[in-house]
Amino acid sequence: MRWSASFTIRQVALAVVAGFLVLASLIGWYAAYQTRAVTHNLEQHSLKAASAEISAAVQRLSSLIEEQGSNLAEWDETRQQILTPEYYAYWQSERLYVSGMISEPHSTAALYNRSGTLLAPAVDTSGSPRELPAGYHPFQTNDWLVNESGTIVLYHLFPVFNDTQRQMLIGYGLVRTDFMQALRKQGQFYFADQDSISVPLQPGETIGISRLFTRLKYGVRSNPDQQRFQSILTQTMLALFLLLLVMVLLGSFIYSRLLVRPMRRLSDDINAMQQGRFMPGPLRQESMRIKELEHIRRSLHDYQLQLRELHGSLELQNQEFHSQARHDALTGCHNRRAYEEDWEKFQQDTQASPQGVAFLLFDCDRFKTINDTYGHAKGDRVLTIVADQLLLALRANDRLYRIGGDEFATFMSYTTTFQAKQIAQRCQSLIDASSFTDLGIKEPVSISIGIAFCAADHVDRIGDLPKQADIAMYTAKQPGRKPVAVYGEDTDRSAQTLVASRETSALFQALATPGMIEMHYQPIHALPGRQVDYYEALARIRHAGEIIMPGAFLPVVSSRRLEADFDLAVLQQIDADLSSGLFPPGRGVSINLSAQSISRPDILSQLMELSRHSTRHRLTLEITETSLITQMMEVKKHLEMLQSEHHFCIAMDDFGTGYSPLRYLVDLPVDVIKFDISLVSTLDEGDRASQVVADFARMMSDVGYELVAEGVETESVLQKVESLGFAHVQGYLLGRPTPLAQLGAQTAQATGSADPG
Amino acid sequence: MRVNRLLLIVLFLPALARAAIVQQNVHPGINAQAEYLAGKRDKPALLVLHGFLQTREFPTVTTLARGLHDSGYTVLTPTLSLLIPNRSQSLACEAVHMHRLEDDLAELSHWIAWLKKQGHRQIILMGHSFGSLQLLAYLSDKPDQSVKGFIGASLIEAQVGKASRQALITQLKNRVRQGNRALVTYPLSYCKSYTSSPEGILSYAYWDQAHLLEVLRRSPVDIRLIMGTADSMVGSGWLRSLQNRRIPMVVITGANHFMDGTHEFDLLEHTLGMLDEMSSNARP
Repeated sequence: MRWSASFTIRQVALAVVAGFLVLASLIGWYAAYQTRAVTHNLEQHSLKAASAEISAAVQRLSSLIEEQGSNLAEWDETRQQILTPEYYAYWQSERLYVSGMISEPHSTAALYNRSGTLLAPAVDTSGSPRELPAGYHPFQTNDWLVNESGTIVLYHLFPVFNDTQRQMLIGYGLVRTDFMQALRKQGQFYFADQDSISVPLQPGETIGISRLFTRLKYGVRSNPDQQRFQSILTQTMLALFLLLLVMVLLGSFIYSRLLVRPMRRLSDDINAMQQGRFMPGPLRQESMRIKELEHIRRSLHDYQLQLRELHGSLELQNQEFHSQARHDALTGCHNRRAYEEDWEKFQQDTQASPQGVAFLLFDCDRFKTINDTYGHAKGDRVLTIVADQLLLALRANDRLYRIGGDEFATFMSYTTTFQAKQIAQRCQSLIDASSFTDLGIKEPVSISIGIAFCAADHVDRIGDLPKQADIAMYTAKQPGRKPVAVYGEDTDRSAQTLVASRETSALFQALATPGMIEMHYQPIHALPGRQVDYYEALARIRHAGEIIMPGAFLPVVSSRRLEADFDLAVLQQIDADLSSGLFPPGRGVSINLSAQSISRPDILSQLMELSRHSTRHRLTLEITETSLITQMMEVKKHLEMLQSEHHFCIAMDDFGTGYSPLRYLVDLPVDVIKFDISLVSTLDEGDRASQVVADFARMMSDVGYELVAEGVETESVLQKVESLGFAHVQGYLLGRPTPLAQLGAQTAQATGSADPG
Repeated sequence: MRVNRLLLIVLFLPALARAAIVQQNVHPGINAQAEYLAGKRDKPALLVLHGFLQTREFPTVTTLARGLHDSGYTVLTPTLSLLIPNRSQSLACEAVHMHRLEDDLAELSHWIAWLKKQGHRQIILMGHSFGSLQLLAYLSDKPDQSVKGFIGASLIEAQVGKASRQALITQLKNRVRQGNRALVTYPLSYCKSYTSSPEGILSYAYWDQAHLLEVLRRSPVDIRLIMGTADSMVGSGWLRSLQNRRIPMVVITGANHFMDGTHEFDLLEHTLGMLDEMSSNARP
């Protein structure tokens, strides 16, 4: 660990505790060392004191005995006894002690004559020798120690003079003392061990008093004060150490409780805050005892609460933003963004847990027409009602997505084709049951539903479901189709493939590339001569050398709202064809045009540009009756302008399959009515329906409309329509759509054959 | 007035004094010492003797001797040896007492002789307590002619306790007669356990009050007594006995047996007065 590294407060606390313990140990060691030193000093002191004590005791004893000897030497009765020892026994045994001259119970005294002989050996009880030992100094005091049968005896010999000038020596006195007993009586020994004092002399051995200390043996008394001092010191140090230890532990506990734990708690809280795990529980609301830490805790807690509130507010806003970002503001259902996210996740979940899933695509039929006719507000209301009904029909957990203007989608898990179809039917039923008349919408509002299903064992193809549902939905949108189509059941194989991939790209490429749209012209024959009067221009897309038929790309045009662009491209191609010189002269051209395109300025401009061919070719605009004309007056104005000023004939196409054919006939400047193949084909059946159609055709013819029968494929039908007054007929019976290049040849051939005929 | 005079004497006359320790062989092998204070030659010399078992250093004796000497008198204060060589300490009652009254009188004779040898022809004996008894004993037994007077202070008989003196004397005589020299212990004077040879204590035991009165009556020299009314050592009837016998006597009111304290001055003053009287009587 580098010193620059930071430490945790616990590490610091442990370091402080360890430091205190080391300090306590050092203090304890120092105290023990000092105790030993003091003890040693005390022992040395005791030894010296014992020596001094014994020395003092010996000195006192010596002084006492010397004083006794001196007193005896000066005592009148001593001289009396030496000179007249008649009553020596009394004097020695009683008088000495009664007079106090010998105060020591362990001492006796004896008198000797001048020659050193005991005065009265027969009665002497002192234990003193009969004769003084040789070598004593006659005029001085003499002291010696002797071992007498194990008893160390101290003798003090003193001379006795008869005169004060100490000239007349008359004898000697000898004080005999039990040295050890007398020494022990010299006061209390505090340092020397009294029982250990000894003078190890051999029996009968004699030494001078001056050599006493060379032979004196003694031990040091165990000093109770010293022991008590040492005990107190040891106990004090131990108590101090324990106190320090307890204080350290207590301090550590308090430090841990008051600082370490709160600071760790604060640190944990801060970490939790950083990691977003902070939960203000009761433990975090527990107050801290240190005012500053409590202030920090409160600040942190308040800050966290504010942060949480802010976070919650932001979260709500985020959720709201997220919700808004994922929901359609108009209908309230999920939007395309949510669709993309959920669909991605749905695919992952399904692939992780394979199950049967269905993708349902909803599209309002003719919604643009409704929108254009009744305004956006009502159009939005229609979408809202449709979305509400769809949500009502879906399962509780299914989500509805608005993925386009009037296009909705949902995907269902754990479902089957049957269940999906049931739900789709329920959607249809609810939409059909909905009332739109309150909105002032007179036309029926319907939806087309495309269903794509993926079984659990084919979840790897789940990504194709949107396209498949798209195909199915536009299959359902095709005239005469059921409004609910299931991909694979109700869709054509060609449609499935064309729309799905190649043809879609070809369409967009064709719109961007002039020439790719190739016009085929189907002859429309005049009756009763059956000569070709004009041609209906039918669009094809040539892509990679192949011809793509309208059934493959028109749904795409419709679904992508490309009608105007497609019409513009067609008009440009027709203009090119008419300008090419290949188009049979004198023959007219009938051009399919969606009602929505009429109001487009570029379309109008292109039509006016095309009208320059009207002098050589009759130009007819076919407005399909299946498309809802929402802005009737504007369309009417434009058609009238084209009719009057640019010599266009106006034809009502696919009559009999649309919504309001009679209204169109009334409101629009229609010149030609093209009966749809579904009506024309009934004429050959001879039933009441054929009769109605026939009567209706005669009526139309009678009021001046030029009638065209489409889809005439049999001679009987041809004759029937001819009999009904149809002016023109169109169908495979008389002619199929033909490319421009072949149109001239066919026309020449037809003309040649006709002319001769 | 008297006190002032004594103070002058004490303060100015010591320079005139001549003191000496005199040692005499009073018994075979036994020396005794005395202090000799030489005074005026025209005044009688005084031999002042201490009390029972005391020495010349006894305060009453010392003070008196100094006072007398300061008054011009030659004073000799011997210490009886009591058969102890160069005795200088008072002897305890329990000590071995081998001395007899005869031995004391012999020593007094030695000292009187010594005074005479010093040229003193008029000697006055003065004793304190038992010393007065011993001096009277000397006077009763052929005293020297130079002895002209006797002054006894706190004179007291040889008290032998409550026992019968006669029985004691008889008992002791028997011991002496039988040659039994074992030490005996009896009360004597102020000693309750006086340890002595039989003949020693016997020599003192004869001297009762009656014997003293008789000796006083038959004294060959002028005698004077100085007694104290507060002397508890003497018997209660002793003063009255002395007064009845018309013994010249001064009784100091309040003085005890040792006449100490302020009574030391009374003792000296009365002694000097008596000496003056004796000198007047001695003049032709």
